[in-house]
Amino acid sequence: MITHELIERIEGEAILDFKTDKSGIVEEADIRFVHFRGMEAILEGRNALDALVIAPRVCGICGHSHLIAAVRMIESAYIDAGFSLTITPKAHSIREITLKCELIQNHIKWLYLVMLHESGKLLGEEVNVSLKALYVTSQINQLSALFSGQWPHSSYAIPGGVTCDPTHIEVMQALKILSEVEQFVGKEVLGCPLEKFELHLKNDSHRALEGDFSKLLHRFERLNLLNSGKSHGRFLVLGENAGSLDHSERSGADVALVSEDSSHTFTHGGKTHAKNALYNGAFYETGPLARALITERQGIASLYQRYGDCAQTRLSARIDEMVTLIAHVRLLLTSLDLSQPSFIPPSHIESISGSGVGIVEAPRGSLIHRARIERGKIVEYSIITPTQWNLGNGTASNLGVAQRAMIGAESITKASLIFRTFDVCSVCTTH
Amino acid sequence: MNTPSPKISTMPSKPVKLRVIWLQGITCNGNTHSFLNDPSLGSLLECIEFIHHPLLPCSKTLKEVVKKLPKSDILIFEGAYRADFERAEIRMESLLMSLALRTKHIISLGSCASFGGIFKESASEHISGILFDKESESGPLHSLRKKVITLSGCPIHPKWISFVIDMIVQGKKISLDEYRRPKELYGYLVHNGCLRNEYFEWKVDSDHFGTKEGCLYYAQGCQGPFTHGSCNKILWNGVSSKTRSGTPCVGCTEPSFPRTELFTTKTYMSIPAEMPLGVPKRSYLALAGAAKSFHIKRLEGKLIDDNS
Repeated sequence: MITHELIERIEGEAILDFKTDKSGIVEEADIRFVHFRGMEAILEGRNALDALVIAPRVCGICGHSHLIAAVRMIESAYIDAGFSLTITPKAHSIREITLKCELIQNHIKWLYLVMLHESGKLLGEEVNVSLKALYVTSQINQLSALFSGQWPHSSYAIPGGVTCDPTHIEVMQALKILSEVEQFVGKEVLGCPLEKFELHLKNDSHRALEGDFSKLLHRFERLNLLNSGKSHGRFLVLGENAGSLDHSERSGADVALVSEDSSHTFTHGGKTHAKNALYNGAFYETGPLARALITERQGIASLYQRYGDCAQTRLSARIDEMVTLIAHVRLLLTSLDLSQPSFIPPSHIESISGSGVGIVEAPRGSLIHRARIERGKIVEYSIITPTQWNLGNGTASNLGVAQRAMIGAESITKASLIFRTFDVCSVCTTH
Repeated sequence: MNTPSPKISTMPSKPVKLRVIWLQGITCNGNTHSFLNDPSLGSLLECIEFIHHPLLPCSKTLKEVVKKLPKSDILIFEGAYRADFERAEIRMESLLMSLALRTKHIISLGSCASFGGIFKESASEHISGILFDKESESGPLHSLRKKVITLSGCPIHPKWISFVIDMIVQGKKISLDEYRRPKELYGYLVHNGCLRNEYFEWKVDSDHFGTKEGCLYYAQGCQGPFTHGSCNKILWNGVSSKTRSGTPCVGCTEPSFPRTELFTTKTYMSIPAEMPLGVPKRSYLALAGAAKSFHIKRLEGKLIDDNS
């Protein structure tokens, strides 16, 4: 039987076309994204610095990652054009702080607005607005805004540094907010102090914790989904700590091996706007699980060894990443040297002709911005978003990552929930 | 909108919740996420219930909304409009109009919904706002213009929307400007309340980005002096704004958004080509000349000289 399922409560919408057997088991799953906005064309012809305003508007939930990717792209074009450029450690740290804040708020929203909501609905439980989660995400975004001026859609990162010039007052405010976030995550999300979570993962005792995350795992257990959702076992990180992993085989990662495949899109008679992103010609998973495995974070590594790349490992990786990010933001805030300049003016953008690439580890995985700049103007712009990796739509002999994870699911509603474990973002996928 | 509604205000113990549908056109979801930043979202949700919202729990899925086309008190539209753009496989021209006819108030949320915004740039002739297409009032909801309240901005500030909803709940008259934006929010300029105002007054420009000192209007492209918005009155995320973090205002609440060359001030004979709103060039030049002839030592140095 063929069923078209409209997937809502993601960033935008997606359509899943399922083919099921007589008992309802999913045999095939096609992923389609039907909206397209033409971001790249909007960027072309503009002053390269305008990308700092346009690019964040690719996505409302991870626009800051697009800002950082755009600024890195322009900075790399400076280098390519033979110009030097200095970013002070302070400016670098501030960018890291705001970027990591975006990941943290994303992961909390995904847990509460998407996963707890959808799993609850599937089990017939009453679902309410999680005001506590929304309050804490508003606090994290406030922390970011102390430096970036606002979230969403800041343009405060510019070639040469950042526009802000914070005082200790902002840093102290940020640390206070971070303490509140830590309390929330410990008490509400994990049910244990943040520093203990990794040990629970290692000891496989995380399901026994009493927090909202273990509540989600219990629901997956009741749905018999904890160990479903296995995919290729191929992982890729192209941003910080780049590397790739094919089952147990580790190698580096080279952005030159990235390609896009549009043979199945509308322009070629297909049914989706989303192009597939491939590494060395194959589908790789990016995002929190890939990052955890490639940086060998112990809790997730042991979970992976025990259960493979199934739903519970994937879910745990996103939560564990949030814990790691919070600790990192604290370290960055406490070690910030405010006496350094925020910005060192580079040569004028109009003197730049060259190619640039900016890579960011965004909430859902590796995000790539590439462009060619002629005398400060954008001639060509190309964006590959994390969801193009994870939600690619392949063929029966070469399945995409989420596609493969859905096949064999007991029902299409269960397959749809597995789909959501990848943290779906439609607006990014079809920018 | 014109007369207070005694029905609602005399029943404070159990207020009738306004029924709201949040519909999206061509969007990045930025307004949705900005809306979620309101720390007092809980009290707003005491006054309204979402029949549909793209992320929050609500009574109907999009699929059910397009099938049943429910009545509502407020229709919030986020994103740019294109007639053949589809939601849940229904064309926007029929979906928007059906829901608009069945609602009392329409909030055009964000600059894409209001004027076309960034996404208009990709196919300008096909994409517009729901009431305005850039400056011209030629959008699809022209016949329902009286229902429309424009909240432009990329994105909107969450307090702007809760303010408008509260005003509707309380039955207050909302005074609107030429683009149907509430004057109480858009009567101000982004320049008002900017921490760099003194530098503007004395014509001290910012040497470069990344400092607390200097006005960004002269070289860095700041559009604050001619952009409507209360960004420096109702601070972003409760704490800051673009100009407070040293970023030039990009004019995101205006129909002209996005302009080009956003980080450079266009100048004419070395003065900004665009004057502060309503200020004649001659007056500006006279005042600027006088201000520049003084050297205010305090404004030429660092605001805080020992920041280590």
